[in-house]
Amino acid sequence: MTPRDSRALEPLLDAPPFLDEPVRPAPEQRPASIQVEKLTKKFGEIAADDAISFSVGAGETYGILGPNGAGKTTLIRMLTTLLPPTSGTARIRGRDVVTERPAVRALIGTVSQAVTTDENLTVEENLSVQGKMYGLAGRGLKRMIDRRLAQVGLTERRRQITRELSGGMRRRLEIARGVLHSPHVLFLDEPTTGLDPQSRRSIWEMLGELKAADAELSIILTTHSMDEADFLCDRVAILDQGRILCEDSPAALKHSLETGERTEIETDRVLGAADREAVLALGARNWRTIAPATVEFQSRPGEGVGRLAAQLLEERGLRILQLTIAPVTLEDVFFSYTGRGLRAE
Amino acid sequence: MRRADGVPKPARGIGLAVLGIAAICQRAYLTLWRQPVLIISTMLFPLVYLLVLGNSLNRQLRHIPVAVVDEAGNAASASCRRGVMALETGRQLVDAVFLDDREEALRGLHRGAYRGVWILPFRLSPKGPGPAFVGDNTDRFSFDALDQAFRQIWDEIARGEEGKGVVDAARLEAYPYLDYLTYLGPAVVCLSIFMGSMVSGGLQVLEDRMYGYHEGYLVTPISTGALVTGNVLAGTVVASLAGMLVLAAILLLTPVTVAGGGAVAAGAATVFLTSLAISAVWFLLFARARSVSVLRGMFGIINALLFFPSGALYPVESYPPWLRAISRIDPLTYGLNALRDLLLRGSPPSSAYPQWVFLLTFALVCGVLTRVLFRREV
Repeated sequence: MTPRDSRALEPLLDAPPFLDEPVRPAPEQRPASIQVEKLTKKFGEIAADDAISFSVGAGETYGILGPNGAGKTTLIRMLTTLLPPTSGTARIRGRDVVTERPAVRALIGTVSQAVTTDENLTVEENLSVQGKMYGLAGRGLKRMIDRRLAQVGLTERRRQITRELSGGMRRRLEIARGVLHSPHVLFLDEPTTGLDPQSRRSIWEMLGELKAADAELSIILTTHSMDEADFLCDRVAILDQGRILCEDSPAALKHSLETGERTEIETDRVLGAADREAVLALGARNWRTIAPATVEFQSRPGEGVGRLAAQLLEERGLRILQLTIAPVTLEDVFFSYTGRGLRAE
Repeated sequence: MRRADGVPKPARGIGLAVLGIAAICQRAYLTLWRQPVLIISTMLFPLVYLLVLGNSLNRQLRHIPVAVVDEAGNAASASCRRGVMALETGRQLVDAVFLDDREEALRGLHRGAYRGVWILPFRLSPKGPGPAFVGDNTDRFSFDALDQAFRQIWDEIARGEEGKGVVDAARLEAYPYLDYLTYLGPAVVCLSIFMGSMVSGGLQVLEDRMYGYHEGYLVTPISTGALVTGNVLAGTVVASLAGMLVLAAILLLTPVTVAGGGAVAAGAATVFLTSLAISAVWFLLFARARSVSVLRGMFGIINALLFFPSGALYPVESYPPWLRAISRIDPLTYGLNALRDLLLRGSPPSSAYPQWVFLLTFALVCGVLTRVLFRREV
């Protein structure tokens, strides 16, 4: 490979950042904030959630990922005392969600899919009403309102009527409402559904800041957005038809796929059988010729097979015209476990 | 145990319940003032009701078209005709035409040209034959009014001939003169309470459930009892406000008889307790309802079951037994009676005490039933 060629290839070979992403350490060592054992909810004969078990440590963000109808909201409702389970147990910091409901309610904060702020009240009044419902009053309540408004970036809008807020700001107010009383566990049920990309990003950053301010805060988050789970969660469970199919950190889940990385290479001439054998020897699978001089193959994520294949082909005298390495996503993980895409529901 | 610095220690037990109830009421109160159309409509509806009912339903009847057929042509029939003319020019009860042909008059009646035909037959005399009234009984009000007026004319003529020395029965009014509008005043207060509690209590609870605000309440640590109490009181605050504003308007604008400031305060207390009882009814009815369409379906029925049996428009004593039974458990009956005693009869505050006991007991029973029925689930 000539130096010129090598320079030409460099930008193409920039590996997506996830490839170097370290697998985060499993958080089992931390004390569990939430322990769920064989939690089941049946509506008639249909099990919305079927023997679900998991635990979430203090300070951990746990994502429940699944399509609409997977049982995410039912699960959150059981954990937030709004729906009695048919069987199984769930404990929040050791308190049972069925037999110790008042204690559980004092420990948790919720941000549901429903809009629970009153649009006729100001931002501050909504928080004031909420604070009193948790037993806060007077200067203590005012201090907490000030703190939360600053954290969600709504201090300037504290006297604004809620109905005048944008969708993103309203969602931030909902989150401020959910954490006003400093809960130990925060439940976020699809916190960014319906928001534009900029508002979503802003909510994610805000959640990161909330976590940074309170290292013990555990968050349980449901979403059907893969990038959201990837960005926010320490661990992710994929829920489908009421069952947890797999559970691990997003990086570990992605790395666990045999064929999660897809590479497409366009060359200046058609590849020969020997070229193909050489690439397959690197660990490429599912080889497909998609155009006369364009091939596609899959490989195990994190092994850099796509990049190595491009280098190999250059060494064999081919010129790479285009190289595409598609990053493995949680969508691929979901697909590999369920055999279908998330959005197909 | 709290982690983050500076997080205040929250109230628990009674303190938490009181704060929670206050928060629910605070929200209802703020919501109301942010939507003044609510309070205006809450008060406007009863006032319009009063004006329309007061001026249409029970206004004195006038200009009822009648035909008088004089087949007698004697002194008695002439007196009758003079009586009818007096009705026409004096009270203006009737617009009379005088015909000779009975058939023509009756055809006119069936065509709808006349509401009644008064036939003065051949040889009309107090000893017989007497006059005959044929009336259009599809319109009961006109029928009864004409029947009574013609009877009165004939009685006077008959008495003039034969009833010399008959003494008029004495008639005394126990209270200062009341027109129907003033009589309706307490009913309007009750109607505004009914409307206010529906808008802020019943409807608000359903909307909260539909739109999710309720869920925000349910996941908080306040007890279910405090949640029910808070919601009932929130409805009470708004209904009382509407009721008291209407009460103030009535005190200022109509010639009511009130025994001093104590009676006015007792009136306000009655408004509050009636609001409490009615709000408790709404919350009980909607303890498990989830859709605003339930209210749409029930509003007419509840209005009919609570407002009309209360005796707001007509005396309860004249009702059939089943309606009297509803009236006896209808909190509006008690609110209305207390207000009538205080505003129309000039009774002292103590006259309202028995009604207050009923209203409070009723609200408590509804509250307990609601607590039993209420499901803290979504």
